[in-house]
Order: sequence, then structure tokens, then C-alpha cells
Amino acid sequence: MTDYGRDLLFGLFVTPNAAAVDLTVTADRAGLDLVSFQDHPYQPAFLDTWTLMAYAAARTSRIRLLGNVLNLPLRPPAVLARAAASLDLLSGGRIELGLGAGGFPDGIAAMGGPRLTVGQRIDALAEAIPIIRDLWDTGTRERVDHRGEHYTVVGAKRGPRPAHDMGIWIGAYKPRMLALTGRLGDGWLPSMPYLPRGADSLPEMNARIDEAALSAGRDPARVRRLMTFTELDGPPARRVDHLADLALHHGISGFIVASDDPRTADILAAEVAPAVRDLVKRERGAVPAA
Amino acid sequence: MTEGTALDLATARVGSGEFTAVVEQTGGDVRLTDADGTGLDPWTTAVWLAGRNDSIRIGLPAPVAAVSPEMREKAYESFEILAGSRLMTGAQRREGIDYDGIPASLADTAVAPGDPGYRARKSTYMRGGSPGLVLRPRTPAEVADALAFARDHRHLPLGLRSGGHGFSGRSTNDGGLVIDLGAMNDVEVLDEDRRLVRVGPGATWKQVSAVLDKYDWAIGSGDYGGVGVGGLATAGGIGLLSREHGLTIDRLRAVELVLADGTPVRAGAEENQELFWGVRGAGANLGVVTAFEFEAAPTGDVGWAQLVLVSPDFEQALKQYGEVARNAPRDTTIFLMAGPPREGQSVIQLYGMVDSGDADTVVERLTPFASIGQLAQQQVVITRYADVMGQAADVGAGGHHGRGEPISRSGLLPVLTDAFARDAARLLRSGQVFVFALRHMGGAIADTPPDATAWAHRTPEFQVTALGSDRAGLDRVWDRLAHHFDGLYLSFETDQRPERLRDAFPPATLSRLRALKRRHDPTNLLRDNFNIDPEVEK
Repeated sequence: MTDYGRDLLFGLFVTPNAAAVDLTVTADRAGLDLVSFQDHPYQPAFLDTWTLMAYAAARTSRIRLLGNVLNLPLRPPAVLARAAASLDLLSGGRIELGLGAGGFPDGIAAMGGPRLTVGQRIDALAEAIPIIRDLWDTGTRERVDHRGEHYTVVGAKRGPRPAHDMGIWIGAYKPRMLALTGRLGDGWLPSMPYLPRGADSLPEMNARIDEAALSAGRDPARVRRLMTFTELDGPPARRVDHLADLALHHGISGFIVASDDPRTADILAAEVAPAVRDLVKRERGAVPAA
Repeated sequence: MTEGTALDLATARVGSGEFTAVVEQTGGDVRLTDADGTGLDPWTTAVWLAGRNDSIRIGLPAPVAAVSPEMREKAYESFEILAGSRLMTGAQRREGIDYDGIPASLADTAVAPGDPGYRARKSTYMRGGSPGLVLRPRTPAEVADALAFARDHRHLPLGLRSGGHGFSGRSTNDGGLVIDLGAMNDVEVLDEDRRLVRVGPGATWKQVSAVLDKYDWAIGSGDYGGVGVGGLATAGGIGLLSREHGLTIDRLRAVELVLADGTPVRAGAEENQELFWGVRGAGANLGVVTAFEFEAAPTGDVGWAQLVLVSPDFEQALKQYGEVARNAPRDTTIFLMAGPPREGQSVIQLYGMVDSGDADTVVERLTPFASIGQLAQQQVVITRYADVMGQAADVGAGGHHGRGEPISRSGLLPVLTDAFARDAARLLRSGQVFVFALRHMGGAIADTPPDATAWAHRTPEFQVTALGSDRAGLDRVWDRLAHHFDGLYLSFETDQRPERLRDAFPPATLSRLRALKRRHDPTNLLRDNFNIDPEVEK
């Protein structure tokens, strides 16, 4: 039972097609905090998520954007680091890096990506994150060298540096990935339907992240816990209580709803978010977070 | 030629005067330059600029950095969908192609990456591609020009494309040339008494059958009307009328082709007989066929059947199908298709044709097929061959949008034995095959002697195809069936191992083909589709 005490974020999880641009504009105007985009390049009907994000970023002014989650095997870390930092600069610090080890091996192979086992994909992610962070770190002029099993970067120049302290938020479910998230991530970005026992899985999964963070000498509260929900359903009163409960007792501080419907953006921004924020603020005031 | 603004990504500072000027520029071109590779990412910046400013065109300093050609093309496509054709073509063009040297006759119709229309022409029905240049000749002389350009670009892959439908055909590629014959799609009746028809390689069988229908004729093609004439009529052509009238190549009376050196040649019973022999089965290795002359067969109404059966015992159903198909008269051609069993049940689709307009005959022919399992669905109609071909969707200006590489294996089955049925059932249980198909052969296919065409396998009962999603996995399970097969039909084969060529062409055929290749394409320009290397003996 944890509340990491972080500010709450509300956003959408959208299908990466051309309509997502208008949806992002709507969400921006409605006052949502973020829009996150699926990344399945092997789906012929979907756009390239990075291209879509860059385009949507150009047409919005306030809202944060991220992949939920970007497919690492199809997006090599050096390219991703430069692209993400650039878009963060161009957009005025509105990009977070949602990253996953990559599912759907047949789809990845069909798009020319490597065919890896689950274990190899996790190893590759663990190699990629330090490469990305090094390339972002322009505090030194030392060239970046990483010689890994999956990614090798030799003598790479650093930069550009993102406009803000960009978070690497990781899609993770299984113990090894949760540990990796605690060790290397700035955020945890799962989807509720993939949790084995729904919200009841959260204490155990949070604990795995916390343990790994502590063993790596990091503050577990540094890892923001977000959650993607399949839909915004149920009567509003219970909905608010449910989300507040997740925030206060399971440390969830990002609420992302899968929807391509602009009305969801409005309801989430105008009704749900303020009510959840109020309730959480009151409760936190009554029982200060640890 | 470069008016407009240059923006150096290494020095560009977001929000600087220089940057703001570009963002607010009204129209014109912006060329991004990337001096040291540490500034803003070119692609991200290009997309962002296109999103900020609806009227500028943007030039990239280099092709998009991506893990694969597929991902790079996906990025370009997505840009075009979001922002329109506003990327200047230069950067998307591929290395090693002399774009300024495109022959004048082809320059207007050629399509390169970044051109409007590229998306519609880069991929095929089954395969994603990103050629560096698509040449679209309209006449044999223009085909010769295209081949001359190809001779100057030997370092690149070279695809020949008619309908762009093939599994095996390398009618697209990555970064190479494609000679797209789609514009050469005339269908013309030459001699009504002799039912002689002249067809361009770019016509589809749907188009051909629609013309012939007015005369009550048909030329047996494959089983799908969207297939192009060129690919099928140079490879073989096992179809719904083959048992009655032979393979598609058996209906050929003459061809006109342009050889690799640009020479136009006519080949048929009267002239260049050996070349005519080779074109019928191995045409893609020998030249670019610009016209096919077929003898159509009189064809009236036909019975067209689609049956869905369910069976708990695929092995038994397959045996029974083999028995029924083997004993069917020549007017009846029924193909079988199945996927892996689900919850102990196999769903078997039978589809095919009875060349008869008489309902009782059609029912009589189909009845034994309908008993190989429990009949779950059926649709049987008396219709026209042209209507069956006409079910294929028109591809239209949007083109094909295949992705990745199809993974298939194929074999010719002399006899559907009990042992084969057992092994085929095991193959489907392996999980490596998602479609398993038998094409019904026999009948008139065997009327042509094995040495009369380069398609030598005249006596198999069935042509067998399996589709999978994992190359190594499919090869592993399929190679175990090798002893059942004698030869293969290249049109359904995607395995690139050199042994496949020897499966397709028996030694005597292959040796004749090599001799032809040495004579007509000694430099091996046409090499991307199951190459018969002129220099290799045996």
C-alpha cells in the first residue's frame, strides 16, 4: 500500500491513424496532460507512430506526447535518442519516451526487425536505455562507447540534449521486466487488462519495481507508476473513487484511457480528472504520504 | 534548381530567428542539412516543420535512419498520408541509380521514391518492397530502353512485374529496378476462326476473361482473376480448366519478347522454337515477353463450387479427396485448402469448376467431393468463367500494399498416397503451416509430352503449397515431406536454396535452359527470379 505522492496525470491511449492528429488537438484543448500512441508498425492500417507523434506535436501547444509503448526492436536506441531529444526540443519539452521490449515477433520480423527470444528482447532493452541516456547527456564531451550483445555504439558524439528531463517509461509485466523498470526506468507504463489479477496484482508488481530500484540505490518514488485502461466506463461517482483509490493505495499517478473518441477526452479532462485530483488532494492532506 | 531556404540541423536553435523564419515561411522549399549528425534529427524535424507549416516542401539531407527498408518506407508513407506529397524527392532516392540517365522514352512515366504514385507501385500483392526506380514501358521499344538502363545498373536487383501477384516472383525489391509491364495490357482477338488472342503481359486474367466471354471462349488461367498474364504465362498456369485444356502455357501459340540485349524476337512453332520451348516454364530467365498469342477454348456456362467441410480426421478426408479427385472426369477441377485443426476439427474448403452448364452434371460431379467431411456450407452456381475470374477485386490506382516476405513451400505430388495423407496431417498439426493447399492436376496436363515445354512435370496428381510465417520453421517441417514429391512449381515457391531450381527443372530440361540462357542472356541480366545461371553446369 503505497502512495508515491506524485502529481496526477490524465491522458489518452490512441490508435495511430490519421484521425489521431485531430484527437490530440482536441485533447490538448480539453486540458488533458498527455496523449499516448500505440506502436505496431507491422499493422498495415497504422501509421508510423514516431512520424505521427512528430506531426501531432507540431499541431499542439501544451499537451505531452509519448509512445505507449515504442517498439524497441524496430527503433534502434541511437536513432530513438536523437529523435526523441529533437522532438522534445522542438515541442518545448512535451515528449516522454514510452518504451517496450517489443512483442509480436512475426510482425517485427516482417518489418525487417530482428527475431529475438523474450530473454533477448529484455537484454536488448537493458542495453538500449544506458545508450539513450548517454547520448542525451551532453555534460561531457567524451564519446559514447557501448559494446553489447544487441547494440554497439562506438565513438558516437553526444546530443542533442532534450529540453526537459525526459522520462523513460517502460511497459512491463513479468518479473524480469519489472526489475528492469525499477533499475533503469523513470516510469512504469502497463495496461490494466494485462495485469494477471487486475488491480490486485499491483502490490506485488509495485514491490518488484521498488525492490529493484532500492537494490540499484534509487528512490522507488522516482519511478512514476502509470496505468492504461481499456475504457472509461461505469458511473462517474464510482469511477472517481476507483481511480483515487489506485492513486492513494497503489501509487498510480498516471491515468491513461484507451479511446479514439474526442468525447472521452472532454469527460476525462472536465469531469474525471478534477474530481480525482480533489479527492486525492483531500486524502493526502488527511494522511500525509510517506 | 534549389531555391528556398537551407536549414542546418547542427546549428539550428529552436526558437531562434532562423528557425522561426523557416516555420513561418510562406511556401517554397526548405532544405535540411545535417553537417555533423549531432543536431536535430532530420526526420523528426522534417515532420515537425510539415506539421507547423502547411505550404512548404521539405528536402531531407539523407534517407530516413531506420532499422530496415520496411520501417523507412513506413515513415515516408505516414508522412504522405499526414502531410501530403511535400517531401522533395532527392533524399528519398536510392544510391547507385543514375536518375538523370533514365531514357527519355521512359522518363515521364518512371516512378521513384518520393514521387506521387510511388506508394501504389512499390509493393506487390504478397510482398512489401521499396525499389529505387520503377520503369513503366508501353511498347517493346520502351522495354528495350528499360533493359538498356538495367544493363547499366547490373549492381542492382532487377524485377519484372506484370500483375504483381506472385509469391515467388521478384517483382519488387529493395533499392533496385523494376520493369513494370502493367501498361502493356491490351487484349485483342487476332483470328476469330482459330480463336487466336493476343494479350499483353500487364493484363490481368480478369481482363482477359471478360473480353473472351463475349465470344464464349476462355483461356484457363490460375484460380484468381487478379493475377497478371506475364507471370503466369511464363511460369506454367495451373488452373480451373487445366484438366480439360492443359496448363496456360499449353494454350500458347507464339510469344514476342525483348531479349536482355534489347533485341525483339518472335518465338513459336515456326521460328525460334527452342526459345519458345524455354519461355513456356522459364520465361522470366530468358527475356521480357511483350505479347502472348493464345488459342482460346470454346467455353460456355460453367459450374462454380465453393464447399466448406468439417472433419475430425484430416488424414482420412485427404485420402478420400485424393481418391475422388483422381477419378474425376476432365471437366472437373476441385482444389482443396485447409488450415491447422482447431479443437480437433479441420475446416476444409473445396473450390473449383465443372466445365458444364448443366446443373445435374455439376451436382453429379460434386457429390463425391461433398462427402469427404461434414458439409458445413456450400455455394454452387452456374455461371461464366469470366464471372469467376471477375470476383477478384480491381486493384485500381491505389496499387498493392503487401508487407514483408511471403513464406511458402511447394511440391508436385505424383500420387496422393496414404503415407502422404498421414504426413500432411502431421504437417498441419505442427503449427508451422497456416494454409495448406492442393491444386488438382491430371487430365489434359499430361497430354503434352514432358520435353515439349520447359515445364516438364506433366503427370503429378496434385500441386501442393504450404504457407507459413517462419522461414526456418516451415522449411524444417516441409523438408521432411520431400520424399513424397517429384518436382515443384516455382510460382508457389519462396525457398531460395539452390536445390529448388533442380526440383523445378529435371536435369535434361535444366541443361537445355542453360544452353538457351547462354545464347539469349549470356551476361545473366535477368537473374532475380530463380536464376538459371548460364555459367553453371548441372
